[in-house]
Amino acid sequence: MFELLVLLIKVIVVMNLALVLGSLCTWLERKGSALIQDRVGANRAGAFIESDKWYVKPALPVVRMMGWLGFINTFVCDSVKGLWKEDFVPAGTSKFLHAVAPIIAVLPIMLAFAVLPLAPNFTLFGYNIHPRLAPIDAGLLFVLAMGSVAVYGVAIAGWTGNNKFSLLGALRAAAQMISYELPMGLVFVALIVVYGTLDVYTIVEEQGKMLWGVVPQWGIVMQPVGFVVLLLAGMAETKRGPFDLPEAESELAAGYFTEYSGMKFLLFWLGEFCEIALFGLLLALLFFGGWQIPWVRLPEGVWWAALVGHLVLMTKVVFFCVLQIVIRWTLPRFRYDQLMNLGWKMLLPVSLANLAITAIMKVLL
Amino acid sequence: MSFMGFFISVFALASAIGVVSVRNPLYSAFCLIVHLLAIAGLYAVLESHFLAVSQIVVYAGAIMVLVLFVLMLLNLKTEEGRGPGVLRTCIAVAVGGVVLLVALPPLVGRFARMSVIQISDAFRRSEGTVRAIGAELYGDYAVQFELSSLVLLIGVVGAVMLSKRKNPTLGPRPGGLFAGGKQ
Repeated sequence: MFELLVLLIKVIVVMNLALVLGSLCTWLERKGSALIQDRVGANRAGAFIESDKWYVKPALPVVRMMGWLGFINTFVCDSVKGLWKEDFVPAGTSKFLHAVAPIIAVLPIMLAFAVLPLAPNFTLFGYNIHPRLAPIDAGLLFVLAMGSVAVYGVAIAGWTGNNKFSLLGALRAAAQMISYELPMGLVFVALIVVYGTLDVYTIVEEQGKMLWGVVPQWGIVMQPVGFVVLLLAGMAETKRGPFDLPEAESELAAGYFTEYSGMKFLLFWLGEFCEIALFGLLLALLFFGGWQIPWVRLPEGVWWAALVGHLVLMTKVVFFCVLQIVIRWTLPRFRYDQLMNLGWKMLLPVSLANLAITAIMKVLL
Repeated sequence: MSFMGFFISVFALASAIGVVSVRNPLYSAFCLIVHLLAIAGLYAVLESHFLAVSQIVVYAGAIMVLVLFVLMLLNLKTEEGRGPGVLRTCIAVAVGGVVLLVALPPLVGRFARMSVIQISDAFRRSEGTVRAIGAELYGDYAVQFELSSLVLLIGVVGAVMLSKRKNPTLGPRPGGLFAGGKQ
């Protein structure tokens, strides 16, 4: 009974974490892009709200503050508008596939959160609790697999658009995602070689050890080249930043989701931002020690230590989300041949060499 | 087998029938993707997580994306006509029957007596499926494994050579589909 309850709580927490991080990224993107472009950003919706109801009055300052910060615009207005908009389906295409595509784009990203640990294990009421949903022994590979399944949402969306812009966007996205999965997978393999396990929890635990007794064995210390390659490949995987060729608005209208409106469009959006959050979580877990603070040892198995660890991890995740958003709003878009050259002629050889050197070092040391 | 395994098997069979019976090639490919994911689900039910994930990465995640990519580029229409004739149907049924006859005895003989629990216990004893599979591949079957990688390499080189060969009747090759600027 208790196990079932814990599992239920875990499902709710993990899925909500994905959603909350995703919408937080939306807000960060709104305000961040405004800051970078010397604008103010969303700050009106809800900022001047008035009410005489006694049960609303105490909450008014908070609501006004949230409106002023743009929270209400992002979290309430956007989704409500999306729900009420006309759902347009282009003629001569499969209605079923048109409806299914956004779901396929979001679902794998949410599933990938299930295998990632969110805090150190702890004991509560005498029960050992592992703060992750699915403790499978191929956790790292599962994330990669889900990333590659997410391509289908994009591909089907572009095809059901029934026009050339959508199709070209989908083909670009598919080609881009396949290309950048290779260096990504090779960086994962190099990490597996370094830490000797596929299990993300063990990888994080291994990072707590000290190198020569001074520096923590974080991924960024052990695999600096891998980090750079994974950052680039991951940004290409999320189809954002300088790599947003699949939705290049100056060439392809909106690329693969040109024909999408209302909530279906918002689902693509959500998937994209959840992917940013997922990628931030991956970077924090694999390269920046997860929930560990360097040179600080938290007691093991205590609930408050797990909570502190979780907050530390989330701080790192938000940092990487901000980093991705800043890169996206700073750099101009690549040309498609530049994108392919970067993937196949730069990142792939570099990651292969990185793997070879890592393997040799592992055998020699 | 557990309820989940039974459920996934039904899914796998239905999508497999869909692959051969649907007329639109693209829908056929979608059915195949569902089928491959269902097979991965079966592996997962049998507690062979690594195999399940590899199935998704290799087949559903890479090969089928390429198949879909090509089908979308070709923009094939739904096949018209009456479908295969009586003779071809007979041949197909005969071939399928022979394959089934060859495959059935070992399945019925060995695995029927070996329950799912036993198989997963065997995996648990070998401290994780990844370690077990790795030890098998790079230990006992190292030569075969390297040979198969050699075959794959030859395949890759062959594909590159074929695409590099100039066809004199076609004239100069056009720029790539996605060429934005210089090639």
